[in-house]
Amino acid sequence: MVKHIIPNSLSEALDYMSKDEYKIVSGGTDLMVQKRAWAETPPKFDQNTIYIFNLMDLKYIKKENNKIIIGANYPVEKIKDFKSTPILLKKAIEIMASPALRNLATIAGNIGNASPAGDTLPILYVHDALVKIVSKNNSRIVPINEVILSVRKTCINKDEMIKEIIIPILEFTKTSFVKVGGRKADAISKTSFTGAVNVKDGIVKDIRIAFGAVNVTVVRKKEIENKYKGLSVLELQSRINEILNDYEPFIKPITDQRSNKDYRKQVSLNLLKEFINNL
Amino acid sequence: MTDISKTIKKVDSDEKATGKAVYVSDIKMDGMLYAKTFRSKHQHALIKSIKYPKLEEGYYIIDHNDIKGKNFVKIIFEDMVVFADKKVNYYLEPIALVVGKDKLIIEKIINEIEVEYEVLEPVYGYVNSEINYHFTKGNIERAKMDSEKTIEYTYDTGYQEQLYIEPQGMIGYFEDNQVVLNGSIQCPYYVKNAVVSILGSDDDYVRVIQATVGGAFGGKEEFPSLLACHLALAVDKIKKPIKLIYEREEDMETTTKRHPAKITLKAYTKNNKILGMSSNVAIDGGAYIGLSGVVLSRALIASTGAYTIDNLEVTGDVFLTNTVPNGAFRGFGAPQMLFAVEMFIHHIAKDLNIDPLVLRRQYLAKQGDATSTSGKFRDPIIMNEMLKTILEISDYKKLVKPNLKSKYYEGVGMSWFLHGCGFTGSGEATHIKAVVKLKKTKDGLVHILIAAVDMGQGVKTTMKKIVANILNIPIEKVVYNNPDTNFVPDSGPTVASRTIMIVGGLVARAALKLKKHYRHLDEKTVTETFKQPEYIKWDEENFKGDAYPAYSWGINIVKVEVDKATYQVNLKNVWSIYDVGKAIDEQIILGQADGGTMQGLGYGYLEVMNAVDGKIAQKNVTDYIIPTSVDTPDMETYLMDNPYPLGPYGAKGAGELTLVGGAPAVALAIENAIGKKVYKIPVTPEYIMELMNDDEN
Repeated sequence: MVKHIIPNSLSEALDYMSKDEYKIVSGGTDLMVQKRAWAETPPKFDQNTIYIFNLMDLKYIKKENNKIIIGANYPVEKIKDFKSTPILLKKAIEIMASPALRNLATIAGNIGNASPAGDTLPILYVHDALVKIVSKNNSRIVPINEVILSVRKTCINKDEMIKEIIIPILEFTKTSFVKVGGRKADAISKTSFTGAVNVKDGIVKDIRIAFGAVNVTVVRKKEIENKYKGLSVLELQSRINEILNDYEPFIKPITDQRSNKDYRKQVSLNLLKEFINNL
Repeated sequence: MTDISKTIKKVDSDEKATGKAVYVSDIKMDGMLYAKTFRSKHQHALIKSIKYPKLEEGYYIIDHNDIKGKNFVKIIFEDMVVFADKKVNYYLEPIALVVGKDKLIIEKIINEIEVEYEVLEPVYGYVNSEINYHFTKGNIERAKMDSEKTIEYTYDTGYQEQLYIEPQGMIGYFEDNQVVLNGSIQCPYYVKNAVVSILGSDDDYVRVIQATVGGAFGGKEEFPSLLACHLALAVDKIKKPIKLIYEREEDMETTTKRHPAKITLKAYTKNNKILGMSSNVAIDGGAYIGLSGVVLSRALIASTGAYTIDNLEVTGDVFLTNTVPNGAFRGFGAPQMLFAVEMFIHHIAKDLNIDPLVLRRQYLAKQGDATSTSGKFRDPIIMNEMLKTILEISDYKKLVKPNLKSKYYEGVGMSWFLHGCGFTGSGEATHIKAVVKLKKTKDGLVHILIAAVDMGQGVKTTMKKIVANILNIPIEKVVYNNPDTNFVPDSGPTVASRTIMIVGGLVARAALKLKKHYRHLDEKTVTETFKQPEYIKWDEENFKGDAYPAYSWGINIVKVEVDKATYQVNLKNVWSIYDVGKAIDEQIILGQADGGTMQGLGYGYLEVMNAVDGKIAQKNVTDYIIPTSVDTPDMETYLMDNPYPLGPYGAKGAGELTLVGGAPAVALAIENAIGKKVYKIPVTPEYIMELMNDDEN
């Protein structure tokens, strides 16, 4: 018999999870779709499920020491409205799904779901976000790129859940987030591009690039970024072909019912080129 | 007297806006059972055996063995089976219906049915012709001989899904010795005739009632007959209320769609003149013919679009494939053809180095010209006035300013089009024979008794308005309930932009007759029957004569920008002008125009549906992308009066007209923006990228 649990607190939830394996539902915006069933019949949850949507101890957002800390249960629409939320994250949330969905969806869900097309994931990668993962007796903080291992695979153990997401507040002089979906709203991305630079006195102090939906996880390559730090903007722009060549091997999209791999690849590189050329 | 076009409040807007309207899915009856369709797992296979599980009491399986009549859906040809018997011809073809109280048990039964198949090689693409039509106009051989340059292009169009908000559904029950079906349908009598045929019963044994319809767009023209046959067989056997509602994915994977088409056009030219044209049309009918022959003929008749070409040769085929059957969809063959024709006239102009606007004007049809089928455009054509107005309003010549620095390519496109109103040829007189009744009761109410369905297009409002205006009574005195075949005569299906022009015309005539009796206290029923105008002559065999009694006309202008990095298309502005004769209600036509134009534009640039190995790949609203309100640009729509003598107050067809010009207008706008010839729709970013990468285009 499948168990459905609605715990009253985080510790109660973790207690249950220390004994049995559970699927965690917060907003349910992905899981309810995955488990959809014939109208007027229950969704097809074939494993134990724990519902954390009412846990107030996971519903918070705060700014602390140049970091934004977001509780796992905090809906993205409210994150967008929080004053200190990084502009890139606001942009990503603004064009995520539909308003009704944004009132339920969470960043923790985006991470737990680990879809290559997760809208907020490239932003988390670009900010070197950290994920606090807790279990009944333990707590650990893991960088986002080590949390997500592959398509729908994470490092989160069955007795653990995401407690909060920690996003460092960084200084960027220019940022860009482009989601390429099938239409202007309520679409799943074919590819997405995230770029952020910090240019001081014409010198590129920091450059961060991420691509979504073009590989098994978000593509961010620090070794490539490091190669171009310290150059002037003009030098950077003059080496655009080299930059494109550096990223090209990591853009490995698929063909599916929403787009094809040639388009996804060429557009990803076009967006990178456009970003660099417009610095 | 006030102008009939002056907008009134839509009579059903309150119940629909407040959620009071009752859709099939809302209906619950005592002891009601549910039904689900058991379907084929193969695209093409012989059924060697079927093993059903042992059923607990109260659960039933209905299949071809329960059919007393002939096992086909009565549409036109005896080709589409109700339940597959020995063979399946497409993926998810219905084999049986499982009925019972508990949905979870029904699902369990479905999972336990075992079918042994012998898989056959499926056929896809334009190879297996089932229907071929051919006709000529003028002297095409002469035109070919005299021509110096032949210009030839091939155009491809994809599937389009109706995507009505309310999926297919029906509830059936047994009452007063009748099988009663209450459903989301466009054509109560199509359903009734199909059910009478499958039950092998008397006419009186079947009653069909229209429930509130949450969108149809042609998708509820012939398809519901299949669903109704399944349900009626179950009700006839079990004699209990049964509800059959399709889930969204089931609906998208198994119901009819717009036919994909491949159209090759040739122009025989000399000294920058088009001496003649050849048109070759292939449409993909899917697994069964259904209405495909009629769709093909409407496409063929539209071969020269809004233009007059003196010498013409037209051929076309319906190809059968092992895919879901295609069927009726707003426009009915015209959207495919008009896309091709509009692109072609531009491509001819480019190849001859002439301004497309000049070439268009040179061949624009005029009153008195011979139509593509050698009939006659009898009524005034006011396209020149419409053109003048729309060019001024849109400031067409100044719409696009090249800007190299911009992130976007800007472009503008224009389409000119016509739509034949009502059934093809003598269809109204020979097949439909519409009958309408008006019944005045003692309480002074006037009941409109017709089979026309309000599926959102506003026909309840416009019909009531016609009657109230003619009788000069308040609209509240006019009653128009959802059609019920026990009470209304067969005024024909709610299709083909015929409802206001044909049925409304009959209703208006009946109202005039009733006017004499209205002041009397007693009851009075007036009946009107369709009579074809004497001058309409149509040779169905040879496609000769007047293909339609009247034509509506339109022009769309679309401005787009195309993102240089992502090739995504932004619709910036749309200007439209239409001649629908006379709008019975201005706001209703403007609403039709907004919806129809967006549906046509979506078809042209956004809506992608493919069958991959015979299976629909985009089978839910996440993957099948239609425009949202955010994608919708500023739209300006204008109507010009051009009353048609036989329509009520001069009204002609309007429902389909607003869709058919969208795709070519947006495709030409994109072509204009990117400077590459476009040959297929939808013009997706993926396709635009291909065109941009093609140095030879």
